[in-house]
Amino acid sequence: MRDAAKTGTGAMDIMSRTIAKLLFLPTLVAAVAILVKGYAQTGDGFSAGVVASLGVVLQYLAFGRREAEKLPLVGLAGKGAFLGLLIGLLVAAVPVALGDPVFNHYPGPGYEVVYLGTLEFITPVLFDVGVFLLVFGFAVGSVRAIAHTIDREEEYRGPDADDLGEEDVAKGEQQ
Amino acid sequence: MLLPLFVALLAAPAVMLAGVWRPSLAAPVGATFAALAFLATAFAWYRGGGSVDVPWAPAWDLRFSVALDGLAALYALLATGIGFLVLVYSSRYLRLHLGHEGRPESEETRFYGFMLLFMGSMVGLAVAQDLVLLFVFWDLTAVASYYLIAYDRRDPDARASALMALIVTGVTAVLLLIGALVLYAAHGTLSVPELAGRVEPGLLLDVAGLLIVVAALAKSAQVPFHFWLPRAMAAPTPVSAYLHSAAMVAAGVLLLGRVYPLVEKSQLLLDVLLVVGLLTIAVGGVLALTRDVLKQLLAYSTISQYGYVVFMYGLGGEYGAVGAAFYVIAHAFAKCALFLTAGAVSEVTGEDHLSRLGGLRKPLPLLAAASGAASAGLAALPLTIGFFKDELFFEAALERGLLFAVLAVLGAALTFAYTWRFWGGLFLGEVRDGAGGLPAALVWPIVVLGALVLLGGFFVEPFAHLAEAAGVASYGAPTPIEPAYHFDLRPVNLMALGTFVIGALLVISRPVWRKGALAVSRLGEVAGPGRLYEGGIYGLNRLSDYVHRGEVRDLRSRVAAILLPAGLLVGAGILLTPSVEAYQVGEIKTRDLPLLLALVAVAVAAVTATFTRRHVSLALVLSSAGFVLALVYAFFGAPDVALVAVLVETVVTLLLLGTSKLIPYKVLRSQAELPLGGKRWRRIFFSCVAGAFAFAVVWGALSQPAAETTVAEEHIRLASEAHAKDVVTAILADFRGLDTLGEITVVALVLLGIATLLNRGRLP
Repeated sequence: MRDAAKTGTGAMDIMSRTIAKLLFLPTLVAAVAILVKGYAQTGDGFSAGVVASLGVVLQYLAFGRREAEKLPLVGLAGKGAFLGLLIGLLVAAVPVALGDPVFNHYPGPGYEVVYLGTLEFITPVLFDVGVFLLVFGFAVGSVRAIAHTIDREEEYRGPDADDLGEEDVAKGEQQ
Repeated sequence: MLLPLFVALLAAPAVMLAGVWRPSLAAPVGATFAALAFLATAFAWYRGGGSVDVPWAPAWDLRFSVALDGLAALYALLATGIGFLVLVYSSRYLRLHLGHEGRPESEETRFYGFMLLFMGSMVGLAVAQDLVLLFVFWDLTAVASYYLIAYDRRDPDARASALMALIVTGVTAVLLLIGALVLYAAHGTLSVPELAGRVEPGLLLDVAGLLIVVAALAKSAQVPFHFWLPRAMAAPTPVSAYLHSAAMVAAGVLLLGRVYPLVEKSQLLLDVLLVVGLLTIAVGGVLALTRDVLKQLLAYSTISQYGYVVFMYGLGGEYGAVGAAFYVIAHAFAKCALFLTAGAVSEVTGEDHLSRLGGLRKPLPLLAAASGAASAGLAALPLTIGFFKDELFFEAALERGLLFAVLAVLGAALTFAYTWRFWGGLFLGEVRDGAGGLPAALVWPIVVLGALVLLGGFFVEPFAHLAEAAGVASYGAPTPIEPAYHFDLRPVNLMALGTFVIGALLVISRPVWRKGALAVSRLGEVAGPGRLYEGGIYGLNRLSDYVHRGEVRDLRSRVAAILLPAGLLVGAGILLTPSVEAYQVGEIKTRDLPLLLALVAVAVAAVTATFTRRHVSLALVLSSAGFVLALVYAFFGAPDVALVAVLVETVVTLLLLGTSKLIPYKVLRSQAELPLGGKRWRRIFFSCVAGAFAFAVVWGALSQPAAETTVAEEHIRLASEAHAKDVVTAILADFRGLDTLGEITVVALVLLGIATLLNRGRLP
């Protein structure tokens, strides 16, 4: 399985690549839909973030790190996580600065809300976007960091690294 | 009125910016800001002070309440004025220091940045009137001091000392917060002036006051918390000078002065201060007489000097508070000058042991004169500001009684002795060569401070005026003091005379008591509170290691560490809850049949999982249980939960795929089965406990008739008001937003941790 992934000739590989490619855009669209409709229907920022990152992780699995990182925004995901956290903190803290309780939502109860389709323009939705960014950034960012490390180790140990002898296995168990 | 605070707080970021742009700019910009902050404070105080009180979090009753009263002006002027002199001194000293250690010039920025953060937080602490605001600045000083003490970060001793200072002052700072909250709970305000009008003597005040006083005493390095201060000498000398004279240690007595209106209502608290102050004077004084390293000697002298201040607060009475304030001024000038002297001497001779120094009056006459004036001030000789500090000290002691007067004289004699030891040891004795060429910037700040000490000996009015104003803020009523020279045999003069005689005797009879003092010092090292601290830290580390090893030895013990406590806690919860009609088997209707089928599938998968040994089959069985469970949620009308369950199962499956791709094929084949391992019965027992109680809880929850209004119904009712149609999302993003925020913060930290770990300890 591993050798096939390297040379890229296995039949399984072609299939998984085709499927991964086909699924990528629909996954992202589904994620955005879950996020936008979150306040009216099933779903929220967390689910949307997981769906979107599943799409990206699938690309990593099918194509490997180098190809996957050519996708737009993947490199920025880690920073996006902290942008999400910042948004969350702002939504929480700004009401305090304005003299309202923490996490007070605007517009308040009884006020009109601006709609764009099902998307509501209220602060909890903004918070949800923050959660989305954070979950997406966490998943993609950590996968990316792990993939980097694996690549670096392979470069360091050379291409025969995966033919570990029995001694190495035993050593690994002791640790 | 806000201008001084504004300038002082702006200084640190400004210096950081200037330093990033050009490291050599950090020092001048820092000194300029310190000078500006000093002028702003002086100007605002000249204009009559003032106060600002803005609510910044009304929902929590927090106020940004600051006032420039006498106490605030005193400490703010000290922090900025002495800060300025110390920064001028550092502009030369630090370059030499970094040069010795072969460190780049760019490290200067960090030093000045934290020095000014220190200054800014000191000014903030001085003007804060709200206890929580005070706590914020209090902790800021601790943070700044941590980085400054550990400035030589390659030195493990410096790091350990910084951590000790942070732990001792940080842990006790929490007591300050608890004390403040206790007072708030009882009296409904956090403002010190308002509290002063509301508190009544009693147990509540004793407890809350004691918590606050302990925080203050730890910061001021009073017995039994004194051990951190000598260790903090690992910091560069200007930091020590600042720390001891106008920041950090001074912050402790500043807090005492601030909360004095509360403290003085409780005789217990005053007695605590009195006893601790006396003990500290003795311990610090005796130990200062035994130390050979210059900075160590000065550190113990600081401990003992702040002992006087605490003692005076403890004496209470008319002269206590105002005397303490005056003492702080006089001590700050003298002690700062002496520290800077120690730094200059070590810099020029490369020596920091008193026994290997001496005779420096010849090569360094100006330094000898300036620090001589400062020493005279500390030893309370006439014609210096120090004489008046002791005059007030004696008056306060006399007011309380003869016993205290005697103790005061003995304490002052100790001061005389160790100050003489410091200055005499440095500058008198056999003249040696090889010292000289001291840069001007290392001498002039000391000359200015020495001149101030002398100036205070002739024109004491401005300083006395400031101390009086500070006394008003602490004591509540104006207590005019008229420090002056009286050429008669009044008791205070006799006491001063007695001090000099006893002090001189102490100096002369050094061989007689030297062994005894060293024995006391040994005793402190063997059985002192410092050992208790080390033992405590060591024990905590051991406990943490033990728990860690038990928990993460292997995957099984980690799972067991979660399952067993969870099972036991849940079990305790079940056994303690009334269980009338809690466990019922409801009737099964035809429309429940699909649900039932799904549940049977889950049960079969779960039972299979316990007997499966092949990794791949186990993964498949577990995920099928998960997916079917998601189906159950969907049947139950919980689409949000079902969605999350499906997603989580998918992620887990992908993770398993990815992991198996990483494991070499040989290993995957040879290790395909779970090892049986030993301790099988223990594992079965753990699983049964956790499983049985989880089962009981779910059963109880499902058969409980929901008669009363639950939180869930309240949430459903409120959802439309929050403009939400999906209640689950509204709960996550709005009603329970703070919980979600906490959770995502943890996730972000985990991401940082993963990235840093994988990148070998550096941020990517």
